[in-house]
Amino acid sequence: MFIGLYVPLFALTLFLYHSQKAEQIDAIMERQIRANTMKKVSFEEKYLSFLRNIQYWANLKYPKNFDPLAEHSSFLNSYLELIEYITIYDQFRFIDLEGKEFFRAQRVGNDTLIINPLQDKNQHTYVKAGLQLKKNQIYLSQISLNKENGKIEIPHKPVMRAVAPIFDIDENQIGLVVINFKMKKMLDQIKSRVEEKNIYLLDENFKVITASTIEEDLPYESENKNSYLDGILNTKAITHFRDSTFVENGHIWSQQSINLNGKTFTFGSQSNLPTEVVTQANLLLALEVPPRVVEAELLPLFRSLFMFNIFAIAGLLILCYVFQKKKIEKEQFYKELEGKNILLTRSKDKLEENNKKVKKINNSLEIRNKQLSDFNYLISHNLRSPVTSMSVIVEMIQNEKNPEVQQQLLPKLNQVATSITHLTEDINDYVSILDNKELKIDNIDLENLVEEIKHEFTETLFEYSGFKVLLDLKTWKNISYSKFYLQSIIHNFISNAIKYKRSDVEAYIEFESAIENDQKVLYVRDNGIGLDLDRHGESVFKLYKRFHRNVSGKGMGLFLVKSQLEALNATITIDSKVGIGTTFKIIF
Amino acid sequence: MKTKPNILLIDDDELYLYLMEKTIKQLSNELVVSTFTDGEQAVEYIERCTEDNIELPEVIFLDINMPFLDGWGFLNEFKKLKPKIINSINIYMVSSSMREIDVKRASNFEELTGYVIKPVTKVELAEIFEKIYHENW
Repeated sequence: MFIGLYVPLFALTLFLYHSQKAEQIDAIMERQIRANTMKKVSFEEKYLSFLRNIQYWANLKYPKNFDPLAEHSSFLNSYLELIEYITIYDQFRFIDLEGKEFFRAQRVGNDTLIINPLQDKNQHTYVKAGLQLKKNQIYLSQISLNKENGKIEIPHKPVMRAVAPIFDIDENQIGLVVINFKMKKMLDQIKSRVEEKNIYLLDENFKVITASTIEEDLPYESENKNSYLDGILNTKAITHFRDSTFVENGHIWSQQSINLNGKTFTFGSQSNLPTEVVTQANLLLALEVPPRVVEAELLPLFRSLFMFNIFAIAGLLILCYVFQKKKIEKEQFYKELEGKNILLTRSKDKLEENNKKVKKINNSLEIRNKQLSDFNYLISHNLRSPVTSMSVIVEMIQNEKNPEVQQQLLPKLNQVATSITHLTEDINDYVSILDNKELKIDNIDLENLVEEIKHEFTETLFEYSGFKVLLDLKTWKNISYSKFYLQSIIHNFISNAIKYKRSDVEAYIEFESAIENDQKVLYVRDNGIGLDLDRHGESVFKLYKRFHRNVSGKGMGLFLVKSQLEALNATITIDSKVGIGTTFKIIF
Repeated sequence: MKTKPNILLIDDDELYLYLMEKTIKQLSNELVVSTFTDGEQAVEYIERCTEDNIELPEVIFLDINMPFLDGWGFLNEFKKLKPKIINSINIYMVSSSMREIDVKRASNFEELTGYVIKPVTKVELAEIFEKIYHENW
């Protein structure tokens, strides 16, 4: 998560860094270009002053057969006094059309100018070039270390030679004027650093004339190994004489070329002819901002972005930590909730189970209650009638004076006694069902049981006896029940079915097992005479109810069946149609 | 001259029938008592009476618990026959107990005149007859 959040932020940082860096570098470049331009302008101004100087000498009208050392020394002396104070003149010479000096003044120390012995300079490039000049043309040499008699003068003295043709009053060229300008000061000015930038002045071959990084000027002339551009600038980018600014390996370069060849200047009044510069000395001013400086410039930006990142990382880490913590807490909470849920579900299941149990118990209690109430009624009602009868008889006997009538009443007492005996026997049967708390429950094979019982009835023994017991126990045939009760129940059903069979049909009783609502169900079906349920429906399972006059029975059978079923939480219902048959449905 | 007052006893307890009949006879010889041991027979008798125009009993003592057709069943059948019956018949429910359910159920039958508890004493019988026959018994 942290990475997911930080990566875009980091990307943004990089983007910002780069765009800011580009902006900064642009700003640096601009400043650099400005600095370079200033250098160039001051450099060109210096050169312009050199040009003005040489032009002055070129424009002088010299005497015919000019001989400054003898005949015309006075002509020159006034000028020499002037020259003495122009300290940038290192040498001031006149050279004739053959290339030989005919005047040579050289500076010794700082402000003394001495007339020197003459030399032949006809092999020198500047002389050859100078002799090619026309009027109003000026030749400028490349800056170089001054050599005397083929040897570099020590201490090194960088000079620039300006050459111009000179004419006598008749406009005939008499030679050349050559001034060696001392360049030391100027070069020092150029290479003085601007804001820690390195400055290089290169010649047309990209050789170093002066550089802020090297103390010596023109190092290549003194055979310094680092004289070439490759060695010093570590760049291959500066290969053209054109103005450009670029970044290379962390360095920022700005270069401006100084090309004076062919340029024209007009000195003095506007009517003067313009002077043209002839030179092979092209120059290149290069400003370098080293990586160290660039980095220093970029440091605040880098630092601020770095700090931003540190804070962002810290912030994100805190955010992640808090989020993670919340997540863990949430998970913990859900886990606990789930655990509680499971517990609740479990207790709910338990509760439901208990509920079921309670319901079952309640049900059986209700049945038991009903049975007890029935029993109560049985006792109070059925026992009461013989007892009251007896008391009435006794009273009658007491009140009767006639012995004959008394005699008639006595056997009635016997009748009462018999009915009480029968009643108590029936009650006994019933009470034994009610009180049978610990019934033995067996796994009973219903098929076997029915087979056993049916043989107790002679009507079922033979095919032709006219009664059939049918079994359809595909769904289930084994059941856990009291064998004694089930025997009694089935005995009653078969007995009833035989008693109430129709003589005009082939009578049968059928036992069919089924499963309904996950409960075992037994259908007991016969095709007997049936029962008018509209009339007797509510009395079917009651004690001493009989519904058929011409059939023996004391009205106990179905009462006991119901009691025995209810004793083990089974229920029974009846469906019957007169002349068609009866179906009992027992739900275990 | 009016025929003798007619009384119907319906009960499966034959001893009770015997004793009731005897008690009634002791009260008056003017009363004619008919007995049936279940509701079904009694219903059949009443049906026969309405069909054959035989005079119906003025008083019926009806037991609740009987085989074949019990007292309640008899009352239901009687309701159906009622449109055919011209004179009023006083039916008394006779029970050996004052079971609340039975009493409540009895109060729902407007055909019933009263509810008496066994044993029905001579005095109680006399009161009932007094009410119905006034001096004519």
